[in-house]
Amino acid sequence: MSKKGLEAQRNYPLNKKVKEFFWGGWCMQSLWNYERQMNTAYMWGISKTLDRLYPEPEEDEKKKEAYRRSLEFFNITPQFGAFVLGLGAAMEEEYAENPDTFDPKMINSVKVALMGPLSGVGDSLFQGTIRVIAMSIGISLAQQGSILGPILAMLISFGVSFPITWFGAKIGYLKGQEYLAKISNSNLMDKIMFGCSVAGLMVIGGMVACLVPITTPLAFGESLQVQAILDSILPQAIPLALTGIMFFLVKKGVKPMYVILGCFAVGVVLNYFGILAV
Amino acid sequence: MLFQSIIIGLVAVFMVLDSRMLGRLNFERPLITCTIVGILLGDVKTGLLVGAQMEMVTLGMMSIGASGIDMNLGAIVGCALVITTGSDIETALAIATPMTLLDQLLTTVADVIRLQLTHMIDTYVEKGEYKKAQRVHIVYGPLVYSVFKFVPVFFAVYFGRGLIESIINTVPAFVINGVGLGANLISFFGFAMLLSTMINKKNAIYFFLGFVIAAYSGFSLTAIAVISIVIAVLLYTLKYGDGNQLAVAGAGAEEYDELEDDLDD
Repeated sequence: MSKKGLEAQRNYPLNKKVKEFFWGGWCMQSLWNYERQMNTAYMWGISKTLDRLYPEPEEDEKKKEAYRRSLEFFNITPQFGAFVLGLGAAMEEEYAENPDTFDPKMINSVKVALMGPLSGVGDSLFQGTIRVIAMSIGISLAQQGSILGPILAMLISFGVSFPITWFGAKIGYLKGQEYLAKISNSNLMDKIMFGCSVAGLMVIGGMVACLVPITTPLAFGESLQVQAILDSILPQAIPLALTGIMFFLVKKGVKPMYVILGCFAVGVVLNYFGILAV
Repeated sequence: MLFQSIIIGLVAVFMVLDSRMLGRLNFERPLITCTIVGILLGDVKTGLLVGAQMEMVTLGMMSIGASGIDMNLGAIVGCALVITTGSDIETALAIATPMTLLDQLLTTVADVIRLQLTHMIDTYVEKGEYKKAQRVHIVYGPLVYSVFKFVPVFFAVYFGRGLIESIINTVPAFVINGVGLGANLISFFGFAMLLSTMINKKNAIYFFLGFVIAAYSGFSLTAIAVISIVIAVLLYTLKYGDGNQLAVAGAGAEEYDELEDDLDD
């Protein structure tokens, strides 16, 4: 019945299809909403596929059903969204080909199954690791007044994000089902998380030591300079201690705005009494 | 001033569209946007320094989904006003903080509007008007985001200058210096927020490793970043062995645990 649409979809150039999933992924948050989060983005990313699959007016009911399916709750790291869109499109094709044997409910259960693991890895990879590395390099160069800092930070982010989104879309469409098994069966996600956490945490440790040189001007007489003693034991001990205090506040769940306002107040007091200085 | 306010407002549009239409390439971050503000206002050096300072303070602030906080909009306004008023770099954060509160307020309004747009899409699909449904997502959505970032930035830059100048002239110097110290203290809150999303008892040692290398060696952060990638790859190889780790799913699981125990020792 819908052979014409299927043919159109199959004959459509691969790279053009991949491009749709790619932009679908990058535009994942164009209409973020509290009800179903990124649902409209998934619809937009797969809409061209659905339009090709069901071209005839008498197939409108099928098309509408597919659109409704694509508007279910969805949330993912944008770069990995392209992978899921590719996989979803491949499954929609399969359903259009075998409407009697393929259960369309499977499409959404695959989407749901991928959301958690891919978002977890995606956020720690892009936000926790790539962003932290790119920005820490960028900050340290920018502090020296070099415009190379922000440029390098942009290049690193783009250089990772672009290929992952593009090839994610392509792999998702061509071999999505195969990879699906790998993602859900192996501890691949744990492994990526492990690598990310080592690199990310080390850089954060470096940041604490490098970026904010807070010292204490406290001195008791000529011979007892507190900062000199600290430096001889553990340089940057004050930044480490401050991080510890803040970590405690984060764990306690104190609202960020309170901490920010509190920091200003504490800063004025500590500065006035000469306890800490930048 | 009008022209300046408009172009800075457009930087805010660029900032929000990074995460809306470019999958969050980090172009929204203060380091990038403040540099752009600096270029546009003809003071690249201050733009870079404010960008570095604001980036450092907010690095740990992640906006994942609905939760979290970011000062991306505040940073743009802070940087523009620091440049136009010639204030201290730390003043940027003092300006960014109330702007962030305003931004959060406006964001809530935008959230409600976008929810209506989502329902509009449902309606269009039911009517079979698919092209219109697509357009709501890709045109109206980003448009709502853009307007809600452009307007507050435009007004803050347009009217903010006189306000900031009068505040700086009346507030005593020790308070301004103290605010500078406070701005730096907030950086540690950022680091701690970042840490809390990644750290656990098992991997805390890597944080200390990075810290200790940097503290004793005095290496730059760029060097630490490179070292950390090398060590991450090294440990990954030690832990998971080589070759087709993708294929050996269930069978290898026990083997990995053994290796992991060795590492813990």
